[in-house]
Amino acid sequence: MRKIYLMPIMAIILTCTVMVICVTNQASWQNREYYNDLRYAIGLPSIAIGTNYEGTRNPLLEVFVRSLYDIPGGYDYVVPSSFIDTPLKLKEYYESVPGFNITIRRS
Amino acid sequence: MIKKHKNLLRYSFDCLSRYRMRSAVIIVTFLIATTMVSAVLFTKEGLEKEAEISVRMAPDLTVQYLKAGRVAPIPLDYANTIAEVEGVKSVVPRIWGYAGISTYTFTVIGLDTSLIPYATFGSIESGRFLKPDDAGKGNIVIGKLIAGLLNVKVGDDIILLSESVEANKFHVVGLFSDASSIYTADMIVMSIQDARQFFRMPEGYVTDFAVYVEDYEQPANVATKMSFLPNVRILDQDLLLRGYKAAYGARGGIFVTLWTILLVGAALVAFSQAVVVGHESKFEVGLLKTFGFSTLDIIEVRLVESLVLGFFATSLGMVLGYIYAAYLNAPGLVDILLGWAFLPREFRLPVFVSWTSVFSIYAVTVIPLMITTVVPAWLNAITDPELAMRRAAA
Repeated sequence: MRKIYLMPIMAIILTCTVMVICVTNQASWQNREYYNDLRYAIGLPSIAIGTNYEGTRNPLLEVFVRSLYDIPGGYDYVVPSSFIDTPLKLKEYYESVPGFNITIRRS
Repeated sequence: MIKKHKNLLRYSFDCLSRYRMRSAVIIVTFLIATTMVSAVLFTKEGLEKEAEISVRMAPDLTVQYLKAGRVAPIPLDYANTIAEVEGVKSVVPRIWGYAGISTYTFTVIGLDTSLIPYATFGSIESGRFLKPDDAGKGNIVIGKLIAGLLNVKVGDDIILLSESVEANKFHVVGLFSDASSIYTADMIVMSIQDARQFFRMPEGYVTDFAVYVEDYEQPANVATKMSFLPNVRILDQDLLLRGYKAAYGARGGIFVTLWTILLVGAALVAFSQAVVVGHESKFEVGLLKTFGFSTLDIIEVRLVESLVLGFFATSLGMVLGYIYAAYLNAPGLVDILLGWAFLPREFRLPVFVSWTSVFSIYAVTVIPLMITTVVPAWLNAITDPELAMRRAAA
């Protein structure tokens, strides 16, 4: 085989490899054991990442990090902002959370 | 006709090795950019998918108690009031929280051992899961992270310090499996009585309620019916899912944006290379046109070149990105993607390769490369051949 055909053939092989990875990866997600009963029994919504930070397995607001760890005079904006940009801009944060005290939100 | 195209193909393949420097520059720049973009995209989608699975298994509604704007233990007698709300199937009181060991924080879960489904036992690697008669005996099941950290196995005892700085001794009766680590790595599961004792939770109070609604009811509607309850905050699955997606999506989005900018840079490098080589190949193009090549033939040659280079570099980049994320746990990248979180080495990063991601990456690499290669080739090809050769010779 001539050397000039090497790259085109490799391009085709690699593209096929990507397709195979895509198919097998999606199949592996479908066939995976999720231990649904365990998750159902325990009922925590998060996965086990972030275990060096206590907020990550807590429902919603604690996902957004310490929003309730307020300091006198106002909420701690710095910590949640450093986690995912500025959560107060997200509508999930302020629109749909019944009972969330948003009275001191900046205008 | 077919023979002509075969010859053009062969000629364009020959050009790939003749203009070696241009090919190498394009391959390297696109390879770096697509490797990082694909690793971020695949990981972001994997994390979102894992979060989605866990949220689906979470209770339909989670009821918390607010006191002065902060989450506080909820009185147990709220359970009866909530159970009477139309559409509520069951209300499960939970006691859970966090325990620190060294610099790590672990999740301590108190379960009502009389309600644990038998199928849960499948997630255990050694020992056993909690049984109804484990209530109040200090028996625990632990995840791989804590087992590795303390070097404990089934049958060993561990001592955990509570918030009130009191030593609590527990007996390990089970160890969660590697396969379930993505969910259980940081968990210490015990009976609800032991959890109450560990957290010094006052009698008559629990951490929160897991509320399950009837199949015919929408959780949001049931949540609305509970709005008369004072001091409660009700979270539904949809809200949690959107929260998690926002968390992972926002961070992933930042990096995808950065690497997309890099891709644009790579496309500019490709353009610059094409212009430089285009200058060198002006004589060649003039000669080809003198031999009878049409403008379309020359564009076809350059088009094939850019397609081969684009698919080679992008596909290789995606394969490397997949290996980097799925097998090497994306060192350097994952810390930033997860924020303050960290990834226990006990499990692999969840990686999801979707068709959308794959075709998006091809779209943002191959198409710009085609444009930036074909346009200079077209400009060369429409120049008068004699003039082109004279300019090149000069």
